[in-house]
Amino acid sequence: MSDVANVVITGAAGQIAYSLIFNVCKGDMFGPEQKVKLFLLDIPQMVESLKGVLMEIQDGAYPLVTDVVCTADIKEAFTGANYVILVGAMPRKDGMERADLLKANASIFKVQGKAINDYANKNVKVLVVGNPANTNCLIAMHYAPDIAKENFTCLTRLDHNRAKSQIALKAGVNVKDVHNVIIWGNHSSTQYPDYRCGYINLPGGKQPIGNVISDEKWLQGEFISTVQKRGAAVIAARKFSSAASAAKAITDHMRDWVLGTPEGEYVSMGVPSDGSYGIESGIIFSYPVKCQNGKYTIIQGLSIDNFSKDKIEITRKELVEEKEAAFKFVGDN
Amino acid sequence: MFGPHQKIILHLLDIPKMADALKGVVMELQDSSYPLLDSVVATTDVQTAFLHINVAILVGAFPRGPGMQRKDLLKVNVSIFKEQGEALNKYASRDVKVLVVGNPANTNALTALTKASDLPTANFSALTRLDQNRAQSMISEKVGVSVENVNNVIIWGNHSLTQVPDVNHGYISNYPQRDLVSPIKSAVEDEKWLNEQFIPLVQNRGAAVIAARKLSSAASAANAIVGHMRDWLLGTRDGEVVSMAVYSDGSYNIPKGLIFSFPVTCRQGQWSIVQDLKISPFIQAKLELTTKELEEEKQVALSFLN
Repeated sequence: MSDVANVVITGAAGQIAYSLIFNVCKGDMFGPEQKVKLFLLDIPQMVESLKGVLMEIQDGAYPLVTDVVCTADIKEAFTGANYVILVGAMPRKDGMERADLLKANASIFKVQGKAINDYANKNVKVLVVGNPANTNCLIAMHYAPDIAKENFTCLTRLDHNRAKSQIALKAGVNVKDVHNVIIWGNHSSTQYPDYRCGYINLPGGKQPIGNVISDEKWLQGEFISTVQKRGAAVIAARKFSSAASAAKAITDHMRDWVLGTPEGEYVSMGVPSDGSYGIESGIIFSYPVKCQNGKYTIIQGLSIDNFSKDKIEITRKELVEEKEAAFKFVGDN
Repeated sequence: MFGPHQKIILHLLDIPKMADALKGVVMELQDSSYPLLDSVVATTDVQTAFLHINVAILVGAFPRGPGMQRKDLLKVNVSIFKEQGEALNKYASRDVKVLVVGNPANTNALTALTKASDLPTANFSALTRLDQNRAQSMISEKVGVSVENVNNVIIWGNHSLTQVPDVNHGYISNYPQRDLVSPIKSAVEDEKWLNEQFIPLVQNRGAAVIAARKLSSAASAANAIVGHMRDWLLGTRDGEVVSMAVYSDGSYNIPKGLIFSFPVTCRQGQWSIVQDLKISPFIQAKLELTTKELEEEKQVALSFLN
């Protein structure tokens, strides 16, 4: 990694970015030695707010931050980018149909994909957070043909962290002792949180999750729906979307991708499908991965039972439908 | 705040109206998957919140509403911090370290301390680290160096418009080149700017952030709170001076019995005021202004307590 990493955050005046930016400034994302130059992009209406964020970054007296650029200009934001975190997206408004949401976001991410292609560093790593994350990621990747597709990912780490937490709460252990839960598929209500390959560190040694939590009905029922619906549950309590926990998940995703995962540890990332587990290439699908030397590798050879097969198929189907709807809007140029 | 190995139990306290929002915070804490977080107690009950705690960060206070006079603000906050001081005295661990953030921070800390007579006065502090960080950042911009090269800027007095940002004992590392060190005053080379612009800039920064964000500083305040507690508990580096508002002991002729921001070093969980710094007449006049304000606030607060 070079002396100073150029880090782009879109939706920079928003709630998730407000937590995320300061995680980056502290060194949580790239480690305590990596200096960063921040490029904060938002729409023109939010530029005044961005000034306030800039002032707070200055008031943080962060040794790792060499410079901050606040802009509404996409070329200025993306030029020379090493890491791009696309948090900003068009939110769902009252009365908006799913098709409208897909359409509005497809045009945003087409523009961003082109900008990444034309201005970013060729080895740029991209994380798409703004929803619908998987399909937005696919659009951006499609319009950045000069960038390797392995450099495009979307966030399912929040779901992964939520799944770990639910297992920890049920088993009565600390979340740090829960390992290798998996999130398959779309970052949506069809995601499939899968406990079967995971284990818990107990004083006596490692135990498969299924041995510690013997309630298969819960593992195949309430566990899955709780994780799938957790976003809505947080909104109901806070009256706002998850922000801090999303920012933490983004930080975890990037840190593991760039600095590597611990030996034996799987994490979940939305990545371009490549045929693994019967998912044909052409969508962004969340898989279990490990990371080393700045690259992720899909964990192969995990057994998929019939229950899981069905769940995986549902989420795959949704992703294919989203893809068709989205590309219909942006055309194919 | 406490380093990479210290496990914690979080006690989160807010008013009953905020109980649902607090639930949301707990959910996000769970969803963040923090290995150091042992458990979370989210409560609206002061006793539950303060029971056995080792560290208390008192962020909550009554905000100034439209038409509210300073006296009204002091009055309503005195009753809050009286209750919290009593709770600390009754329920907290005897070694509890307290940082008051909610404004008026210095006087709120004094109120709490007054009602916690079984606890050492040295364990009560108020936050001026945000002002210090702001001052450090502005000097780094002015001189054109990285912020970590700016050292030992001091904030004296009240966390208010009368605070005294003082660069006379500070220095810039690696300036004008690597391995050299310059006093801040000679690096800045602009005494007029230092006296007439820098000081008001730091004093008014809070308002400037509100004007831009339409909200108070939050992230930068949180960062300062972390810095203050971490340095207090884990110690300052050799030669490093930080600003903390602490119980005055007569140093620099500041009357005893005020919570006053001083330059300190920290070691083994204790702060010590840096002694024998020369105070110029210019700074001395400002110290007197901020002392006067703190004494007035103290009188008003005590009158409400009795």
